[in-house]
Amino acid sequence: MNVLNFKTIFTVLKKELRDHLRDRRTALMIFVSSIAVGPLVLIGMSYFISSIEEKAEKKEVFVLNIMHAPQLANFFARQDFTIKEPKPDFRALIGQGKHDAVLVVPDDFSEKFVTGRADVELVYDDTRQDASAQSIGIIRRLMTGFNREVSTQRLLAHGVSTSLLRAVEVQDTNLGTPAQRAAMLLFIIPWLALIVGITGCMAVAIDMTAGERERGSLEPLLMNPIARPSLILGKWLAVACYGMGIVLLLLAGFAATLTFFPLPKIASVVSLSPAQYFGFAVMLLPFAPAIGALQMLIATFGRSFKEAQTYVSYLYTVVSFIPVIAMFTQLKDATWQLFVPMLGQMMVLTRILRGEHLEAMHFLIPLSVCVAMTAVAIAALTHLMAKEKIIFGRS
Amino acid sequence: MIEVRDLKKSFGSVVAVDGVSFVAKGGAITGLLGPNGAGKTTTIRMIGTLVGIDSGSVVVNGLNVATEADAVRRTSGLLTDARGLYTRMTARENIRYYADLRGIDAAKSDATIARYVSLLDMQDILDRRTEGFSQGEKMKVAIVRTLVHEPSHVILDEPTNGLDVMTTRALRELVKRLKDEGRTVMFSSHIMQEVAALCDEIIIISRGRVTAQGSTDELLAMSGKTSLEDAFVCLAEMENAPARVSLLPKEVA
Repeated sequence: MNVLNFKTIFTVLKKELRDHLRDRRTALMIFVSSIAVGPLVLIGMSYFISSIEEKAEKKEVFVLNIMHAPQLANFFARQDFTIKEPKPDFRALIGQGKHDAVLVVPDDFSEKFVTGRADVELVYDDTRQDASAQSIGIIRRLMTGFNREVSTQRLLAHGVSTSLLRAVEVQDTNLGTPAQRAAMLLFIIPWLALIVGITGCMAVAIDMTAGERERGSLEPLLMNPIARPSLILGKWLAVACYGMGIVLLLLAGFAATLTFFPLPKIASVVSLSPAQYFGFAVMLLPFAPAIGALQMLIATFGRSFKEAQTYVSYLYTVVSFIPVIAMFTQLKDATWQLFVPMLGQMMVLTRILRGEHLEAMHFLIPLSVCVAMTAVAIAALTHLMAKEKIIFGRS
Repeated sequence: MIEVRDLKKSFGSVVAVDGVSFVAKGGAITGLLGPNGAGKTTTIRMIGTLVGIDSGSVVVNGLNVATEADAVRRTSGLLTDARGLYTRMTARENIRYYADLRGIDAAKSDATIARYVSLLDMQDILDRRTEGFSQGEKMKVAIVRTLVHEPSHVILDEPTNGLDVMTTRALRELVKRLKDEGRTVMFSSHIMQEVAALCDEIIIISRGRVTAQGSTDELLAMSGKTSLEDAFVCLAEMENAPARVSLLPKEVA
């Protein structure tokens, strides 16, 4: 008997695709979410970026009891800043992330200011990334400017040259904001594209392996005179179809959003050419089926869908955290990363987004790793499916 | 014909089958009777090529199970307690999937399905998705799936477990019919009455060994009891098979 019988492979593939497409709830969830991820992320990002810029452009500071500090009021006004009265319950609101940082002036500010011992309180919550994060920086910058001005005046009054105060004159040229904004997008887009591919084929991979065991359909299935490699290949091809279909839908979602929605903030950071889309597809399409094969292998150890789900979620956690760890440790691009699944993909996808130069190895190495991963997983799965413990061990 | 010789199988330190020998003749129904955990299912799985054999041999239709597993799978139909169906597919699709895997063309499998569907009276459920099927309905689909390639050897492991009277009766009729068509039928159960009503030859297995073999009357005579149940209990608890040489291979006799 042929180990690879195309008729068997095709029969299994056809059955699995039909069977799983009929699982309307799962199929709908997978396909809708993969189409929706692109637009949602891009629109969300766009909103986030504009809100940051809006705040920076607004030039507002919240100060409580500004009447006790005319010196500050004067300085803020000269910097073109509007002073706003905070809401009465601002302390609670800041804690909830619903209020900008507030500068609180004590009643005795003016008296102490004369003696040079005045203080102010800055109220904020640095665990919040939203409302107050931007405003803290603004208030700190303003206060630094105020201190510098006052101290300079006081030293001048004592006849000290102000040039002594500064060893080096620093001139601000802020490149950070647009670059950081881009970096965030450059991380999230490839990361999501990879994650969606992984989650997409998870349910199908589990149902085809642990699901067969749980249902008690594996034993009669293996009674048919078919070669196990053909059976496994047919199943894997179905998982691969799912995974690749999801990746294509996801890319279509990104493309449709970038083409049809006016998102100027995003467009200034990300705009993909057909060649870049092609690069994305080349990186993502082999990855989903390779992870799918791995998920099938791991899920086979599960006697039930639920048990398998637990095992596969370990894999999912590890794989999805690899790039996050890389980001936080500020890992610099290196060739060895191309050999690590997920890390290699992230690196190449980010470079595609940045429009950086790529060589053949950037595509060939991750592709070869995916092929090797798939081959090993399928071989192991074929071996596993012959084990009596797997065929008969039911929950 | 199925010839089992000195079959042994252990799982770790547990000896499941410990030297079982018997012959199941063609055109007859052979019953495998034994208490739970006696080794019936393991024996049947070895005959059905699903479990590897530690020692001894099984020959089905002249084919050695150990070396010609695929040929055995082609000519035999095995139904164990794993009767899982794909719930999002209809009964017909479930059966066809197996026919397709066996390379049977659609016209031929349709004819076979039609025949069994009328025999088992399952026209109403044939094109329904199997989700929510009753035990009996599931069983009927599973049995047609097992028979879709018209195997010459049919092995059924406790097929009436959990079935109602109607389905059990339909199943018995089917088994008799398979015998009348000249096929070799093996049928395992832990219910003496059922085996007695159906089988030409009964093999009693206990603790991995054959403890008695013969027709219903012979078994009653052997045990010296008048009721089937008493005979079964008595024979199942015997240490060694009493001599009844006609069907037994020499080693056992």
